[in-house]
Amino acid sequence: MSPILRRTGLALLGPVLAIVVALVISAGVIALIGENPLTALEVMLDLGDTPSQQTQSIVVILNRAVPLFLAGLAVSIAFRMGLFNIGVEGQYRLAAILAAAVGGAVALPGPLHVLVIVAVAVVVGAVWAGIVGVLKVTRGVSEVISSIMLNFIALGLASYLLTGPLRGSEEGASIVTTTPIPESGWFPGLNGLLTGLGLAEPRSQLYGFLLVAVVVGIAVAVLLKRTRFGFDLRASGLSPSAASASGVDARRMVLKTMLLSGAVAGLIGMPDLLGSTHVYGTQFTGGLGFLGIAVALLGRNSPVGIALAALLFAFLDRAALPLQFADIPSSVVTIIQGTIVLAVVIANEVARRLTLRSAERAGARPVAPGGGSAGATGRGNPPPSDDGPPDTTGDRTGVRQEVQR
Amino acid sequence: MATSAPSAGGPGQGSSAGASAAGVAPPAVELRGITKRFPGVVANRDIELRVRRGEVHAIVGENGAGKSTLMKTLYGMHRPDEGQILLDGREVHFRSPADAIAAGIGMVHQHFMLADNFTVLENIILGSEPTKGGRLDRAGARRRIGELSDKYALGLEPDVLVEDLGVGDRQRVEIAKVLYRGATTLILDEPTAVLVPQEVDELFGNLNELKREGLTVIFISHKLDEVRRVADSITVIRRGTTVGQADPRTTSVKQLAEMMVGSELPTPETRTSTVRDAVVLQLTDVTVADPVGRPLVNDVDLTVREGEVVGIAGVEGNGQAELVDAIMGLRPLAAGRITLGDEDITCATTRARREAGIGFIPEDRHRQGMLLDAPLWENRVLGHQTRPPAAKGWFIDRRGARTDTERIMRQYDVRAPGPDTLAVALSGGNQQKLIVGREMSAGPRLLIAAHPTRGVDVGAQAVIWELLKDARAEGMGIVLVSADLDELIGLSDTLHVMLRGGLVATVDPRRVTPEELGGYMTGAHTVGAA
Amino acid sequence: MTKAAALLLAGSLALAACASDEEGGDTATGNGGASGDLKIGLAYDEAGRGDKSFNDSAYAGAEAAIDEFGGEVQEVSPNEDGSNRAELLSNLAEQGYNPVIAVGFAYDEVLGEVAPQFPDTVFAQVDGSNADGAKGDNVTGLVFAEEEGSFLAGVAAALKSETGQVGFVGGVESPLIEKFQAGFEAGARAAKPDIVINSQYISPAGDFSGFSDPAKGQIVAQSMFDAGADIVYHAAGGSGTGVFQAAAASGGRAIGVDSDQYQTVEDPALQAVIMTSMLKRVDNAVQAFISDYVDGNVEGATDVLNDLSTEGVGLSDSGGFITDIKGDLDQYRQQIVDGEIEVPTSL
Repeated sequence: MSPILRRTGLALLGPVLAIVVALVISAGVIALIGENPLTALEVMLDLGDTPSQQTQSIVVILNRAVPLFLAGLAVSIAFRMGLFNIGVEGQYRLAAILAAAVGGAVALPGPLHVLVIVAVAVVVGAVWAGIVGVLKVTRGVSEVISSIMLNFIALGLASYLLTGPLRGSEEGASIVTTTPIPESGWFPGLNGLLTGLGLAEPRSQLYGFLLVAVVVGIAVAVLLKRTRFGFDLRASGLSPSAASASGVDARRMVLKTMLLSGAVAGLIGMPDLLGSTHVYGTQFTGGLGFLGIAVALLGRNSPVGIALAALLFAFLDRAALPLQFADIPSSVVTIIQGTIVLAVVIANEVARRLTLRSAERAGARPVAPGGGSAGATGRGNPPPSDDGPPDTTGDRTGVRQEVQR
Repeated sequence: MATSAPSAGGPGQGSSAGASAAGVAPPAVELRGITKRFPGVVANRDIELRVRRGEVHAIVGENGAGKSTLMKTLYGMHRPDEGQILLDGREVHFRSPADAIAAGIGMVHQHFMLADNFTVLENIILGSEPTKGGRLDRAGARRRIGELSDKYALGLEPDVLVEDLGVGDRQRVEIAKVLYRGATTLILDEPTAVLVPQEVDELFGNLNELKREGLTVIFISHKLDEVRRVADSITVIRRGTTVGQADPRTTSVKQLAEMMVGSELPTPETRTSTVRDAVVLQLTDVTVADPVGRPLVNDVDLTVREGEVVGIAGVEGNGQAELVDAIMGLRPLAAGRITLGDEDITCATTRARREAGIGFIPEDRHRQGMLLDAPLWENRVLGHQTRPPAAKGWFIDRRGARTDTERIMRQYDVRAPGPDTLAVALSGGNQQKLIVGREMSAGPRLLIAAHPTRGVDVGAQAVIWELLKDARAEGMGIVLVSADLDELIGLSDTLHVMLRGGLVATVDPRRVTPEELGGYMTGAHTVGAA
Repeated sequence: MTKAAALLLAGSLALAACASDEEGGDTATGNGGASGDLKIGLAYDEAGRGDKSFNDSAYAGAEAAIDEFGGEVQEVSPNEDGSNRAELLSNLAEQGYNPVIAVGFAYDEVLGEVAPQFPDTVFAQVDGSNADGAKGDNVTGLVFAEEEGSFLAGVAAALKSETGQVGFVGGVESPLIEKFQAGFEAGARAAKPDIVINSQYISPAGDFSGFSDPAKGQIVAQSMFDAGADIVYHAAGGSGTGVFQAAAASGGRAIGVDSDQYQTVEDPALQAVIMTSMLKRVDNAVQAFISDYVDGNVEGATDVLNDLSTEGVGLSDSGGFITDIKGDLDQYRQQIVDGEIEVPTSL
């Protein structure tokens, strides 16, 4: 097996193991409540009877996956440098309400209107996350604590703004919303694309924001993997001390990372806002920021992994409905999601150890790269590379803790 | 050569078969044919070891020869694939260190495992706390620790916080901890690595006390002169297997070294002076303070010229690490000025300093020098993110970095399958060679080398010394911080001694002995000689 | 209950008689013809079945209708963040369930989207108004005069309070819950003008956790009891249990909401503190609506108002804690029904 193949295999091992474990546990739970796990699985996999229903199911899954993907991406950016941005929830909620308010207040030509709304969301998300960064850099406040606290503040603030200055719905309406965004600020759907592919016309529109999410995903992947900035960010995540010794300004890096994470977080509410609701209201989908943590965990912080994880979560989420029609409690889905996240944490650790062992094996394999300069030491023949087990003991544990912090 | 190693007077080579029959007590520890494989590598092969009760038995070998693996086997941290472990003639099987402790084996690790903010007493009893009616029996513990301290002359003060103790005292606490658990056989893993010569003497005094009381000590080291001083018998390990036993009284250091490496020992000695006039680094009144404002580095003036190796000697924790941090821009200065060539870099960022031509071999390569979970080529990029061949504009030049990593691997003899291998998979020596190669490849004007050969095997050590010498000859200025006094004396053109944050003495490396240097380091000598 | 149903039936019959046969009525008749095939779709609000409150109550209504007419009921609950509400309704309609009843005002927006897509399906929304027909011609609002029932709860609380201080715990700040608060405060002041009323909400607008967070409910209620209140009225759905616990811990009393919580709460210790409950007869409303549907009398684009006069709201007397003030309560009820007292619907 080629090393690259093995590495990919090992990278996939964790999540796959997690999903299998979660499925086994969930099957056990389903069996315990007296239902047939196989029937349940069949129900979950059934997308519908008619072509239109099937397309609709796909649209529902994709529409759900887009915000989940963005949420996972936002969390993962911070994760990559060892920061735990729990504040994604507050960042996107605040971003969504302000973007909705601005979108409802201005009248601009089509694409520009959308652009303004998205820009406001990005800026608000970044600023709100930036507060976390500033507090950490200047006052040493743990980003976990401050981002949780800022969540409360953001939710309270959004609630105040919604019921107060930004209220657009009439007095006494059960659902309080902002002023609706005029049609010029809507993001066109992609149903034309679906029908163009020969699929049946679904009931709802596939969010056009899907394309934006894909672009953002690719951009983030390139940024993290290929650029100097991304290298600095990942190095800081792998070892803050080594990163600063290499010349990375840790404080500035914290700030930049939080700004970037927050900017992506600001986008989470956009698919719903621009694609279907066109207002921010009391019924605006909440909790995506927290789900994003699970998605990022499952996707092991890689954009592709996060996309797959988001699709999986979205798929499970949709399955909750047909399960109810089959008289199987939809909480099965919650159980599966919960066990997946739990299993992921365990499986990632197992996979990490396997990767490590595989790496040790690779390192221990005798190779003699020339051995050219060995002569300079005055030793006759360089000893074969049986240096014993690699240098993994000692402060290794300390390093690990730092990375996971 | 190895098999013909001197063995006269060794503990009964060839008499093992008849030993028990003749009524002689069986060895306290005996290993027969121990083999331990890790996936893809045999770490120990056919190990034969016999340790008599009441002796100090040294195990010597290069770093990576398999000493630690062997001791982990004996301490129950993993199980051997083949072979037997016998204690006092009875075969034992350890499933965990707890089993080994129960059988009377104790381990003093190279890196101390003490809680700084606990007292000596608390540290000693931690994990095997005596109780009386469900409550911690402090009085009982104090009594026993007092007895241990008197019996083995450990000089323990039970109520002092460990953070207030020196390195030697901490080591004695570790030893007491092991004794407290009833160990009759002590394994000491490289115990002198962190000690200055005076402390080494004290340690050896303690070991003699232990021996006198009938305890058995297994002493792991690669410092041959020390081993010859303290050991009653020596077992040499090379490439994972025991190559023979030696009697320290009849075997010379040179002979031991040859057994150990199978060839001649390298020396750190530099040849002729290459010091030029141009100043590379100038530190003026540099002071670094801790958060409370106490000076960690106090008013240091230091000049490094082109082609000069400036050594900094000192007991660890006397400000060397902070001084290095200050030069690298990792710690703010409380006062003073730093110039690199003609440039004032007092306020420059670490990155700017690196770009201006400072290379850095950090003291702790795991913490500061490497990304262990990243491939080698990314480690090549580390510290050189902004410069070719690691970077191209705003992007990382993956191909360039890979190619250059391959070059470093070839040129600096880094043994690894390829640039995509994870750094964690390399042995300490190979990691260090990669770091040195990386820092050299940017062609720096100044190299800060902190403990450049710590924890690397003799082969890598020689390569690194050779590289430092070459760099010096080419006109690079080098600041060398080390705990290895031979290395300091051998490589330095100028040698400063650091004590409590200040440079207290400047000695001539051509004339000073390690003992004298040790005296300056502990403050015993105070006269600043030139 | 049957009386209320009959009243409701009568009411809707009257309404139906006034209106000419419009589209909604037509379809209803068409679908309702084969009553044996009655397939009721029931889409719950957040907490879903087992909330011992209005979701359960809606189910009881559907159950009663099935006992009467035969057929089946399909229940569905939204996901945790309620983002799939539209899918719930569409799927029910798509699979041929008719009528489809959405429980809760949270369906306001999605009904307006979904109902027009399924013109052949009859929809009803508990707690949501469609008097203006904005949600479509095939949607009927089943609304309640919570403020009237809450007014009586306020009267009972004021009359029974010994400390002269009462409290109100709302689940989530929203216009609906503010109706409860407004009625309760007006009732308490009417009975005892100098009463001290402490009103608080568990979560702010937009955060729906306040309906399902007993722990926070307990904290909020506890602070009221600690401040001297001895009777606390809650309109906080599942969080109400916490209010009862706080009452039990402080030797105070509590007023339940929606269903007769004296009957539904299982813990005897909590049962003892439930003085009365403000009944919101969702069951009656749902049952009445289904029988209207079966009879082909659903008109659509209207509201069915359930108030004191129809016994759609009221106070329970299980446990006999308020039998001594029944006279006063009846007096107030009559005044409200007669229009002598106008109960405010907002603060």
